Amino acid sequence: MLARKMMWIAWPAFMMAGVLEMVVFALVDPQNLHWFGQPLALSREGIYTLAFFVFWIITMASSALTTLLAMSPFEVNHCPMSPGDRPNGCSK
Amino acid sequence: MNNQTTGAKKIIPIVPQEGYTPPPADEVLVSLYAAHEKIYPRSVTGLFSNWRWGMVVLTQLIFYGLPWLEWGQRQAIVFDLGVRRFYIFGLVLYPQDFIYLTGILVISALSLFLFTAVAGRLWCGYACPQTVYTEIFLWIEKKMEGDRSARMRRDAKPLSIDKLWRKSAKHFLWLAVALWTGFTFVGYFTPIKELGREFLQMSMSSWEMFWTFFYGFATYGNAGFMREQVCKHMCPYARFQSAMFDKDTLIVTYDEKRGEPRGARSKKADLSTLNLGACVDCSLCVQVCPTGIDIRKGLQYECIGCGACVDVCDTVMDKVGYPRGLVKYTTENAMKQGWTQAQTMRHVLRPRVLVYTGILSAIVLAMVVSLSMRTLFKVNVVRDRGVMAREVEDGKIENVYRLQVMNATEATQRYKITVGGLPGLAMASETIVTIASTEARVLAVRVQAPANVATPGSHPMQFEIDSLDSPGHLTEKSIFMVPR
Repeated sequence: MLARKMMWIAWPAFMMAGVLEMVVFALVDPQNLHWFGQPLALSREGIYTLAFFVFWIITMASSALTTLLAMSPFEVNHCPMSPGDRPNGCSK
Repeated sequence: MNNQTTGAKKIIPIVPQEGYTPPPADEVLVSLYAAHEKIYPRSVTGLFSNWRWGMVVLTQLIFYGLPWLEWGQRQAIVFDLGVRRFYIFGLVLYPQDFIYLTGILVISALSLFLFTAVAGRLWCGYACPQTVYTEIFLWIEKKMEGDRSARMRRDAKPLSIDKLWRKSAKHFLWLAVALWTGFTFVGYFTPIKELGREFLQMSMSSWEMFWTFFYGFATYGNAGFMREQVCKHMCPYARFQSAMFDKDTLIVTYDEKRGEPRGARSKKADLSTLNLGACVDCSLCVQVCPTGIDIRKGLQYECIGCGACVDVCDTVMDKVGYPRGLVKYTTENAMKQGWTQAQTMRHVLRPRVLVYTGILSAIVLAMVVSLSMRTLFKVNVVRDRGVMAREVEDGKIENVYRLQVMNATEATQRYKITVGGLPGLAMASETIVTIASTEARVLAVRVQAPANVATPGSHPMQFEIDSLDSPGHLTEKSIFMVPR
């Protein structure tokens, strides 16, 4: 179940990060970017790569929140572990 | 005595509904999400399998081959992100041409709708990289570890030398294909021959190295391990396919009327006396299914339309001497009403299909027209903010502009700049400029007009730019200032 949730979070976020990457860098030349007034000391390829992962992390955070909110009350209230693996005090 | 207290605190007891027994909690959770079981697809031969292999070869010839094609002095197709230029054969696209990328995405989406409406999940079954690489990886797996039953048997056994070398060889080959795929992917963004040299000399830039391994790793993971899980749990297309399907869409269907009741029987048995349908319940259709479903349960979102079950069922029908087509690629209406192929085909042209085709053709046409009419240079005029207007010798009035001229072709070009809009307006700086291929230059341009040409204030004027070496003309509007 956890693996499946990871897929729901990572994959749509990956696609949207790709779209963001295209839209943002069609409009912005990485060489014009500044960081605290200084030009970034990275190649264009480097900025493309880092930006992609920043986009991906943010879009994954969004997917993760959606996944969290999409859980039914039953899933939220219920202990997700099988009886043998449950920690002490988790009686549900 | 207790009346007062009970009156103050009215308690409504919560009691279970009569006759209700709560389900064991674990059962409810687990039944919603069945635990994943590894699927061992059995290999299959037949018409659809041949089509799929044809498509695997075709798509991969294109994917692996295109970066090696040459066009003049350069790679034919390269999306050179380092210099922010996309080269596609004779075409050079710049970030300003983003609209064409959008156009291509819209065309791809509409084509997908059209194909889906007509023939179901053609994309999934034959062209999706997930299917294509899974097919390649399965082929390697079969060569190294044997077909379904051999693999299942070996996996159940403890580790042995035989198992170890077969598994290692498989993973080695998988990794080789995956790495080559990653390398090719990067070759679409950096000239691939240079990249190959750098790769051999181990001098690739760290970003190129990173993307080669990242894409390679994704291929290895998706085609080697995730496989049908990607289609079942990650792909959004499977979830909205029903929006494009109707009863005349070609899908993989089981002929329930003919097949049921299913059951095993002796080959010599007379079917009419057995009270059995044509389905011999051999379960081969389930064994060959890459997503592990039973097509006899009807259309399911997991079905990628690959037709493996059609192929295998046809061979079984041949063997037992029944007519083919118990599982077949047809429409819901055709199956229900027993239409012939010609009758089915007549229902292809229906409003939904015509609408999709119409919109698609309109966008393709618009894109082709726009691409062919696109001027091969761009001009941007900015008034020089430092100098508004000044008087020069002979009492003439001079304005200064900054013209950014960009040559979008791959040859050096000369451009002639003239001005108009006011009587006697003329260029005071050079009128013919030369710009190197795919370069942009900012020119400081002085424009003069005779004294008393107009009242003080701003007056509209325009720059006319003509390309001298290739057809093309642009008009850029600006303002001419006359001082008081």
